[in-house]
Amino acid sequence: MPEVLHRLSLLESIVGAINLGAIVLDENRSIVLWNGWMARHSDWPAATVLGRDFFEVFPDLQHKRIESAITQALRDNFQSLLSQTLHKSPFPLYAPGASEGQERMQQAVAVTPINLPGVPRHCLIQINDVTIAVGREKLLREQTLVLRSQTFSDGLTGVANRRQFDVTLEREMRRAIRTGNPLSLLMIDIDHFKDYNDYYGHQQGDGCLIQVAAELAAMLKRPTDLLARYGGEEFAAILPDTNAQQALQMAEAIRLRTAGLRIPHEKTGDQLRHITVSIGAATKHPDQPLEIAALIGAADRALYLSKRSGRNRVTAQPA
Amino acid sequence: MVNLTELENDALVEIFNIGVGHAAAAMSEIVNEEVVMSVPSITFLNRTDAAELLGSKKDGERICGVSQHYSGAFATEAILMFPEDKSLEIVRLMVGDSMPLQELTEMEQEAMSEIGNIILNACVGTLANLFGSELHGSLPVYHVGTSTEILSVFGEQGDDVVLMLHIDFVLARHQIHGYVAFVLDLSALHDLKEQVDRYLARVLGQA
Repeated sequence: MPEVLHRLSLLESIVGAINLGAIVLDENRSIVLWNGWMARHSDWPAATVLGRDFFEVFPDLQHKRIESAITQALRDNFQSLLSQTLHKSPFPLYAPGASEGQERMQQAVAVTPINLPGVPRHCLIQINDVTIAVGREKLLREQTLVLRSQTFSDGLTGVANRRQFDVTLEREMRRAIRTGNPLSLLMIDIDHFKDYNDYYGHQQGDGCLIQVAAELAAMLKRPTDLLARYGGEEFAAILPDTNAQQALQMAEAIRLRTAGLRIPHEKTGDQLRHITVSIGAATKHPDQPLEIAALIGAADRALYLSKRSGRNRVTAQPA
Repeated sequence: MVNLTELENDALVEIFNIGVGHAAAAMSEIVNEEVVMSVPSITFLNRTDAAELLGSKKDGERICGVSQHYSGAFATEAILMFPEDKSLEIVRLMVGDSMPLQELTEMEQEAMSEIGNIILNACVGTLANLFGSELHGSLPVYHVGTSTEILSVFGEQGDDVVLMLHIDFVLARHQIHGYVAFVLDLSALHDLKEQVDRYLARVLGQA
């Protein structure tokens, strides 16, 4: 007999010591075991919950999945798993010494029938703290998001994004300085696009951007040319080994092709009732020690002139 | 291989539809959205044919499986199976996550295990209820691999029979097809058939 008692106290110590929440319910769903881990993380000593109905202690859990899991364990002899992903933190449990208002521990729960000789079936509820694993996956997702945002294509139109534009322009600039070849930049802006969005809605606005971007991208045939979405309704074309004269020709061709799409636009405020673009062109000549910011600035100013002098036109950088 | 009368076959289909109905209700409660599940048909196959049916679309296609062992009135290994991309879809529809990764993460695998747990317990629970007998169920285990690999986890006996349920799963306007396989040895199959007959006799008033 002493050996049995010894084993019993050993088991009790172990249940008290394990790093896992353990609750045992009898056939009437009354709490008959509440281990030390539960007491530490709930702030309720065993004496305050033993003998009480489980759903009186946790009224919020009534009619939730845990209730059917308990029923299935007691009635059907089935085990159930409640994942953190689908249930987050069902029990009001906290890290030891948690301050007021701190978030609940993230939990994975298993409900298991316990068959004992001579007494009706009980069930064991095991609760695992998975807060660390949840944090790890959150970090993984956040880093994936960052990586994805660092990719080089524009999510809507599929042409190069601003990031690729910056990288490419810097590379082509260095190449132009080294080779002594000219480098041109076009800034292309869709006319009255705000009015288009206001009148047709953003979805159709997106459709217009996609259509124009695809048309422009199809025109830049050389592998070193790059069309990028610079911002909102503004696109930029980097044209290596292209002098000012050639850049203007390309810009004019782009302007005509866009107008040729005949995308209806009722709110242009002029006779043209379709989508057009204004373009500013700038070229870095071999003998100029030009900087990137200066080249973009020159193309921007030329674009502004196109806009101010009536839109649907091409302007070269001021001499 | 297995001669189930039309009546026996229909009874099993009906029983499993009640089961997945319970599972769908449990899942709706979790996601707060309508989940509809049905079992349009069942088939008895040998293990090789079952693996072929599951892997027929693409050779070596990976399948996600969630298995539980049941023992009692009859013994069976029950496995819920979806093609890997479909299980990604289900979990992410259930979780509503906006940042999908290439594979199910550890936590998502656990969620998939729970989905399997709900569906398998519901199917087997309905069976056990109608048979008026009890089965003991294990916790779910998550597997990923080809259909042959997954089915071979459960022993190599050549005379095993697989009772295959086709499952239609509809959530948020997505329709996903999956399977539940019950691996039965011949004596378990015999027990199952006997239980179905007893059930039929009862409902048809011939008991």
